[in-house]
Amino acid sequence: MSQVKSIAILGAITAAVAANATAALADGDQEKCFGVALAGQNDCAAGPGTTCAGTSTVDYQGNAWKLVPAGTCETMELTDGGGMMHKGSLEATKMNLPAS
Amino acid sequence: MLDISPKDTLPKAGGVGYKPQHFNELMNAPGSVTWLEIHAENYMGAGGRPLAQLRHLAEKFPISVHGVGLSIGGETRLDPEHLSRLKTLIDWLNPAMFSEHLAWSTHDAQFLNDLLPLPYTNDTLTRVTAHINEVQDHLGRKMLLENPSSYLAFAQSTWSEPDFLRELARRTGCGLLLDVNNVFVSATNLHFDPRAYINAYPLDLVEEFHLAGHDEDTDELGRKLLIDSHGKPVDEPVWALFDHVIANGGARPALVEWDNDVPDFNVLEAETARAARHMQGVVA
Amino acid sequence: MTLDLTTSAQDMTVSQSRFRNALLDPETPAPDGLVTPEGTHAEKRFGVYRNNVSHSLASALVDGFPVLTKLLGEAFFRQMALVYLRIHPPASQLIMHYGAAMPTFLVGFPGTVHLKYLPDVARLELALRRAYHAGDAEAIAPADLTQLDQATLMDTRLVLAPAVETLTSEFPALSIWEFNMQDGPTPTMQAETILISRRGYDPVAQRLPLGGAVFVNALKKGHAFGTALGLATSQVADFDLTATLSALIAGHGIIKIEKG
Repeated sequence: MSQVKSIAILGAITAAVAANATAALADGDQEKCFGVALAGQNDCAAGPGTTCAGTSTVDYQGNAWKLVPAGTCETMELTDGGGMMHKGSLEATKMNLPAS
Repeated sequence: MLDISPKDTLPKAGGVGYKPQHFNELMNAPGSVTWLEIHAENYMGAGGRPLAQLRHLAEKFPISVHGVGLSIGGETRLDPEHLSRLKTLIDWLNPAMFSEHLAWSTHDAQFLNDLLPLPYTNDTLTRVTAHINEVQDHLGRKMLLENPSSYLAFAQSTWSEPDFLRELARRTGCGLLLDVNNVFVSATNLHFDPRAYINAYPLDLVEEFHLAGHDEDTDELGRKLLIDSHGKPVDEPVWALFDHVIANGGARPALVEWDNDVPDFNVLEAETARAARHMQGVVA
Repeated sequence: MTLDLTTSAQDMTVSQSRFRNALLDPETPAPDGLVTPEGTHAEKRFGVYRNNVSHSLASALVDGFPVLTKLLGEAFFRQMALVYLRIHPPASQLIMHYGAAMPTFLVGFPGTVHLKYLPDVARLELALRRAYHAGDAEAIAPADLTQLDQATLMDTRLVLAPAVETLTSEFPALSIWEFNMQDGPTPTMQAETILISRRGYDPVAQRLPLGGAVFVNALKKGHAFGTALGLATSQVADFDLTATLSALIAGHGIIKIEKG
C-alpha cells in the first residue's frame, strides 16, 4: 500500500466522520420508543363484517380480470439520462452495475 | 429475563389490548387502564421498537400475553419453532398471564391468520388436551383457553361448548378466558340463549374476561349474523351479559379489545372505565 | 338403492384439509358437515371464514407494502393480493414478515409484468420491514474510526448492525420509494445501490455510490477493512469510500471495531 493511498484512506475516514459531526445526540430509549410503528400485525379480530368480500373469484388470466393499475405508477413519468420519457412501464437501462 | 420487578398478577380491573399508537398515552396518562394484553406474535422479532416499547410498558403495567398463532386445535403437531419462539418471549417477559384460543390456524405449514372452528368431539378433546399439556409443559406455566366466536356449527359435534371447555380444563389443569362478546356472537349466530351458556359454563375456572365490539351481517336466510370484528364499542346487550357473568361468578381482570378502526386512546379508556364500573362492588 | 349410513356419517366429518382447501378456493363449496342452527348446509356462513382469511392477509400486504399499494392503487393491489395469498399463504405465524415472495410474484403476474421496477420496490419494502424488527445494537462513536493508523485499519473488522442490508437495483427503487412516501422529486431513470439500516428504532434507506454494496457486503461477511476496500476498488476503480462510510455512519450501521 503506497503512502499516498493510505493517506487518501485515512482522509476518507476523517471526511466521513466529519460529515456526520452535526448528528444530534441520541434520545433516551423511552423517547426513541415514541416513533412510528410499522404496520403489519397479528390480531384476533375478524375482518369487517361482510361475508362476500373474501369469496370473489379472481380469474386474472381470463376476461374477468379487468382491473388495471391505477396508482402513482400511471402518473410517475421517469426521465432517463437522454431526456426520454417513460410512462408507467419503465425499462431497465444497461448501466454499469457492479456485482454485489 | 427482564430486570424489573415482576408484576405477577393482573388486577381485577380494566385492561386494554395494546396498540402501538397508544404508547404515549399509556406511559403518561393511562387513566382507568390498569393492565395490558399483547398479541404474542407481534413481539417475536429479534428487536426494534416493538420489544423496546414492551420493555417500557412492562415496567409500568402487568402484561398478559395472548397468543393468536399456536393452532392449539390443529390436526397436526404444534409447530416446534413457534413454540420455541413463544417460550423465548415468555421467559424474557415473565408476564402475569398467558392465553390462547380454542381454534386452529395452521395446516400443512400454511398459517391462515384466522381463528378457525373445531367440532366438539371426543377426538378433538383428546387432541386439544395433548396440545395444551405440551404447551404448559414447554412453557412451565399454566395457560388460559379462550372460547371462540362461532359462525356455523359442525354436524359431528357431540359436546356442548361449556362442557367441552370444562372437560379440557379438568384434563389439563388449564384456566379459562371467558370472552363475553364471543358468547353473545355465537349465541346470536347459533340461536342459543347466552345466559343459559353462562349458567352452564365453569365460571370458577375463569381468570380473565374479554369484551369487544362486533359487526352485523345476515345469514343464508336473511337472519342476523354477528361478526367478531373488534372494531366498535362493546354492544349494550354484551354489557348486560357481562353483568350476568359477574353477578354469578364475580369480578376478574377485564380486557377491552379493539383491533379494527382503532379509536383515539380516550375512547378506549372510556370503555375500560365502564368495564371497571360494572365490576365495582362485586365480590370476586 | 341401499342407504349406507357409515359413509354418510363419515361425510359429516370435516377434516382441516378440506376446510383449508375450501377457504382458499372460492370455487370449492364449503365442506358438508358445516351447518346452520337448523342443520342445513352453511355455505354463506363459511364465507365469514373465507373473508377473514383473505381480508386479513390482503390487509397485511397493504400495510407491509405501502409503496406498492400507492403505485398500483389500493383497489388493484387488493385484488392482486387475493391472487397472491392463494398462491403464497403465509408459511410463518409472524405476519410482520408476510409477503417475502412478492418480488418474484410481481415478475409473473399479468397485471404488473410491464412494470419492471416493481420487484425492486418490493425488495426495498421487505428490507425496511426486516430492519424494523432486526436485533438491537449500539452504533460506535464515529470518532473512534479516526483513532486507527493505516496498518491497523487495514486488518480491522468493522462489525455491522444486524439491520444492515444492501439492495442493488437497475432502477431508481429508492427514488420511487421517496417519491411516494416523502414527496420526493420525480424519479429519474438510473440504477441505484441502496443501504438499508436502522437509526434508533427507525429503518432508513440511503444511496450508496457504485461499489458501495460490494464494500458493505464484504464487511458484513466479516472481511477486514482492507479486504473489503480491495474488493470494491477492483470492481470500481474510483470507488467513493468517503460516501460509503458516511452512509454507514449516518445509518448507525457500524457497531464494533475489532482489531485484527
